[in-house]
Amino acid sequence: MIPMALSLPRPQTTDLPGRAVTMDEAAFRHLYDRTARPLRAYLMRSCGDLALADDLLQEAFLRMLRSGFEGEDDDHRKNYLYRIATNLLRDHFRRKRPESDQVPERDESPGHDEAVHMRSDVGGAMAELAPRDRQMLWLAYVEGASHQEVAKALGLRTASIRSMLFRARQRLAKQLQARGLRPEMEVS
Amino acid sequence: MTTKPCPHEASVAAAARSGDWSPELKAHRDGCLTCAELTLVVAALTADAEELAGIDAPLPNPAPIWLRAQLASRERQYHRATRAIVWVQRAAMAVSVAIGIAFAPGLWELVSGAFSGLSLSFSAPDLPRSAGSPLVVFVVSLVVLGGLALWELTAVNEN
Repeated sequence: MIPMALSLPRPQTTDLPGRAVTMDEAAFRHLYDRTARPLRAYLMRSCGDLALADDLLQEAFLRMLRSGFEGEDDDHRKNYLYRIATNLLRDHFRRKRPESDQVPERDESPGHDEAVHMRSDVGGAMAELAPRDRQMLWLAYVEGASHQEVAKALGLRTASIRSMLFRARQRLAKQLQARGLRPEMEVS
Repeated sequence: MTTKPCPHEASVAAAARSGDWSPELKAHRDGCLTCAELTLVVAALTADAEELAGIDAPLPNPAPIWLRAQLASRERQYHRATRAIVWVQRAAMAVSVAIGIAFAPGLWELVSGAFSGLSLSFSAPDLPRSAGSPLVVFVVSLVVLGGLALWELTAVNEN
């Protein structure tokens, strides 16, 4: 099992009344400098749109400040941000497909930035996956989230994550192999 | 060929992220298709994350985010501070309504009496007696004040 990294209360994606900003500006700047780039990378790879990723990034930080969440340390706050960002992504994909509760299999909206996905072989391979698979793989293998944390972030049952993650990984590996990368090769 | 879950996946994933492989784990990875595939995926994603985190596009300026959060916080504080005033307004409106209801039967008689006293040929001295009744003034004042309180309440709720 991958170490727990996102063990947090579920953040709301709606406004939280009656709460205030508890962090001072210097602490906020420090957190922003430390986490904004990796968080944007997660958002970009999940939605495939740099402008949208920047919008969601700002919204995630704003909601964290408005929630009054203090956190024990920067890592705790960082994990909270990822939870908010994941919820924002889910809301975004649901708004795009109001007739369905499921996220789309592929993101083919006009704002979809192929340049982001095709930046590398990995980007191209990820672009072939469903947004939920991308988020799942990223949270589990880049951020080191546990199955339980991935399940909470994506609104899924923990019991389902192991098999879903396994299948998503197989799909990504297949795409990577189609681009000439093999299991025995080290990606640098 | 198909792969199936392996009990060493967590260790392999951690090693693929850190690059710190023990000889035993490396030997296992080389002989296990699942772990080889996992290594490829984790290493690819890690490299991709580093590449995306290092792109040239500047990050959004954090200053407006901080400012918007501060403004939202002050707005909530304002609403909290004016909550007592809003409750006083509600109480005043409730009292107005209660008084209005209490005086309703008498008011109806007063109004019907005032209109029955009017005629096309009424004389000017009759007007102050019906229009200037203290009760009418009182009731009209209550209605106006109640309306103002209602308007204030609506305005606060809309904010």
